[in-house]
Amino acid sequence: MGRKFYASISVVVLLFLVVPLVVHDTFYLRVITEAIMWIGLAVTWDVLAGYTGYLNFGHGAFFGIGAYTTAILMVHKGWPFFAASIAGGAMAGLGALIAGIPTLRLRGAYFAIATWALARAIQQLALILDITGGPDGMRLPPFLQPGFFFYVMGGTVLIIFIVFWYLFEVHPFGLKVKAIRENEDGAMAMGLNPARIKIKVFIISAVPTGIIGGIYAYWITYIDPSSTLGDLVTDQAVVMAVFGGLGTLIGPAIGALIISTFKTYFWAYLSDYQVLYLIILGGLIALSVVFMPDGLWGTVYGKIQNARLAGSKEKR
Amino acid sequence: MKRVFTVGLCIFGMLLGPLFGLAYGDEGRNYFKVGVITSLSGDLATGGNVTKRGYDLWAQEVNRLGGIEIDGKKYPVKLVYADAQSEPSAGASAAERLATQEKVDFILGPYSSGVTLACAPVLEKYKIPMITGSAESPIIWKQKFRYTFGTIPPVNYTGSTPMKTLASLTPPPKTAIILGSNDAFSKATAEAFKASAEALGIKILKYDIVPQGQDLTPYMAVAKATRPDIIAFGGHDEELINLVKALRQINYTPKALLMHYGVTEPAFVEALGKDAEGVFGATVWTSTIPTHGEVLWPDAKSYAEAALKAFNVPADYTQAGSSAAGIAFQVALAQIKATPPLSPEEREALVEALEKINIRTFYGTVNFATEGQYYHANVGLTPLTVQIQNGHTAIVGPPEYAESPAIYPMKPWNQR
Amino acid sequence: MLQLLPQAIVDGILIGGIYITVAIGFSLAYGVMHVIDFAVGEWIMLGAFMGFYLNRWLGLEPILLFPVIFLSFFVVGLWIQPLIHRVLSGRRGNPVLMGLVFTFGLALMIRGIALTVFGFYSHSIPSSLAQGSLFFQVGPIFVTIPLIRLTGLGYAVLVTMGLYYILHRTDFGLAVRALAQHKEAAGLMGVNARRTGGHVYGLYTGISATTGALIGCIFSISAQMGPDYTIFAFFVVVLAGMGYLPGVPWAAFLLGFVQSFFLIYLSPSYTMLAVFAALYLILLISPKGIFGKGV
Repeated sequence: MGRKFYASISVVVLLFLVVPLVVHDTFYLRVITEAIMWIGLAVTWDVLAGYTGYLNFGHGAFFGIGAYTTAILMVHKGWPFFAASIAGGAMAGLGALIAGIPTLRLRGAYFAIATWALARAIQQLALILDITGGPDGMRLPPFLQPGFFFYVMGGTVLIIFIVFWYLFEVHPFGLKVKAIRENEDGAMAMGLNPARIKIKVFIISAVPTGIIGGIYAYWITYIDPSSTLGDLVTDQAVVMAVFGGLGTLIGPAIGALIISTFKTYFWAYLSDYQVLYLIILGGLIALSVVFMPDGLWGTVYGKIQNARLAGSKEKR
Repeated sequence: MKRVFTVGLCIFGMLLGPLFGLAYGDEGRNYFKVGVITSLSGDLATGGNVTKRGYDLWAQEVNRLGGIEIDGKKYPVKLVYADAQSEPSAGASAAERLATQEKVDFILGPYSSGVTLACAPVLEKYKIPMITGSAESPIIWKQKFRYTFGTIPPVNYTGSTPMKTLASLTPPPKTAIILGSNDAFSKATAEAFKASAEALGIKILKYDIVPQGQDLTPYMAVAKATRPDIIAFGGHDEELINLVKALRQINYTPKALLMHYGVTEPAFVEALGKDAEGVFGATVWTSTIPTHGEVLWPDAKSYAEAALKAFNVPADYTQAGSSAAGIAFQVALAQIKATPPLSPEEREALVEALEKINIRTFYGTVNFATEGQYYHANVGLTPLTVQIQNGHTAIVGPPEYAESPAIYPMKPWNQR
Repeated sequence: MLQLLPQAIVDGILIGGIYITVAIGFSLAYGVMHVIDFAVGEWIMLGAFMGFYLNRWLGLEPILLFPVIFLSFFVVGLWIQPLIHRVLSGRRGNPVLMGLVFTFGLALMIRGIALTVFGFYSHSIPSSLAQGSLFFQVGPIFVTIPLIRLTGLGYAVLVTMGLYYILHRTDFGLAVRALAQHKEAAGLMGVNARRTGGHVYGLYTGISATTGALIGCIFSISAQMGPDYTIFAFFVVVLAGMGYLPGVPWAAFLLGFVQSFFLIYLSPSYTMLAVFAALYLILLISPKGIFGKGV
């Protein structure tokens, strides 16, 4: 934790505080808030996928659990927003605990599909239950202050990022997690308890996702099973994380930023070519996997490292 | 640690990038800037594109005639599109952009109730009136949004008519199986069918809401065992086609098969051919309905011809309702004599004018309710019962609109 | 309602028959190449539209078009496979994820192109087989068997037997099984992994595409139908044990039974919830599929 780390953090915080003062256009503020939300979702997905190697295809379910918990507590119980969204995070964490104990025994493709099944089951449940409003969804009391949501969303994601950075890149916990990814049996032989650590990472990934879901619900003011609990949330988080580069915190953030910005601009100004979007996005993903298997960040960073190595060799 | 710093800078550079871009200043323009929010992509793209055609046709026709006439001077309209991508969050962003960046005068609204429910609060905040041509779920109108109107009546308003028509046939149907797909529109349709069947004394043997896209063949085996007179189904086009195919495959013909607007879509008849014959549906508009328009198109027939000429696709009631939304704005604007760009006071006056409007169009009468469960939905129309006859939708009820008698009971599948 | 019991069983088997054809090619491809192919549903969709247009232009019975569709998509599969091979054999650690994301992108692309070319509307492939059904009645008990669904089951049996024959009675099958067991060792024994993999992938795309044409006769089709079938292909294959072909029919029938019994006897609203919950529970009890033989 050098001085530069704190310097960079404070620069980011400063920039973050300034944005709404410079940006008076509420549409851009919305776009930025959404980009930040996707950064949060891609990064939280990646701590499980990139750091432990478990592909969670039910990430959207935690987002949805958070959103619905917040909505139900606010609408039916009259809770204030902050308490409700934290409860949303807690519910998502609880969900991860219940889901994780059995599923984390599964490996590879089985885990991916089991979590997908779980997400679908939760979506079906929301469609059937009365308290969730079924297919009609739920409306939250509108509070339309783009600046407020920018700060709440941005602050939350920033805290998530810093905590993750500390946990996975600085604290020994991160090493343990990576040991499991590289060789689970080996890690066990070294005296680690993979089951426990995996559950911890799963919960660490789910809780912030639930909180983000809660913020989303209050921000958009309307949630329903198809948009909040559908596959789209998971799919986009996965694509962003992979495009940016797995197993890092910065890669998914960059991926999320680029894809989310591209998407917004595409929709906003090129609506006439809507179907092209699917083709371009799909092509981009397929090509990036073929030509940049390490993701954008991994590839760029790798190039820099190589150049540095080459440079130092020449000097010698 | 250096890379954290660089990356942090890069991220914020990207975030800030767009801020120094476009700024729209168009004070003193002499045309109406009309926002269009609709789902041009995603799950709802089929319907979204239909509404877009409706709005486009209205704008084309208005501009062909020189524009909207306000106090003797004509102001053309210019549409600005925003794609809601079938996602409520994207719909809210779209509304925000149209309201703040484009500074539109008024908005032609989205397809589907989910997107409408997310857009409406944003437009309440900016006080911009919106008329949606195609959101049919009753839940929108229960929210009582001041700035949101709809030209299409909700399904609980239209859903009771076909049951009444069926009950008047001989021999009167006594039993029914009612089911609906589990989405907002289809569930509301099934509920409306159920409520009216109960009111008419038709015995409901089975009522269920089924998951979307479910294979219903086993469910229809129950129908075959209990032999109901009516099978009524709320769903979207592909589900309707699946249901007819399932009934055809197990060879059970109820006396009447009732669905909602889906049967009026050309895809329904095209996909099913002669198996589509005799299926009942509900709608508020067909190209043959006898209406008299005071503004733009004089009757339904001329609208249908114009639509076919413009897009080479037959117009359905969603498209007609979308065009009628434009007409409603146009008439209200002429009444309050507001010229572009609209000031907040003029927009307020526009809402008040819309609440009072009562205009006859090619689509039927447009008259928004100002209280009750249909608040701001159009209640000027007469819901119609239609039936597929010889590959066309024919109006078979209520009696004063009927073009031909209903074919009842339905002809068995294997005799076609 | 006990009179409907035979019908519920028959319907379960018939629905299962469709799932067999949806999933079996995918299971084969996974067993050999270890790729979770997100594009299963898209191959099915493309096959369905090929069937739809050929039927419209030629007026032939859709079943007769199956060989043409199979061959066309066999070639497409051959052509796509080297790309997937490249993705899977990259030096990066997680080939499962890479394959999955690549095919996810491919699926998005195919869907985008299909929406542009075919439009948004639903269609249906007319088949004379969809007009008739067999009807048996003994007292109050009756069973209806739609001919087209019986054809579907027949096709499923044919494909299953065909694959069994190829895998266990031909040299090509031997090579495929060797590859599935141990890639490097098979390579040392003279199996050309790329070419064999290409043929396997071709078989898979071909089977999936013909399944699409069959589905077009039974249900409606649209350019957006893909993901619905992808899900079921995944579920069947996971239930069966990934890459374990003999498990596929049983897993498919199980899913069919869950659906038909929920629709007829239990609450139809809960049908899909039951399907997903069943999958989840089975994976908990037996993590490698109902037979515990997945790879």
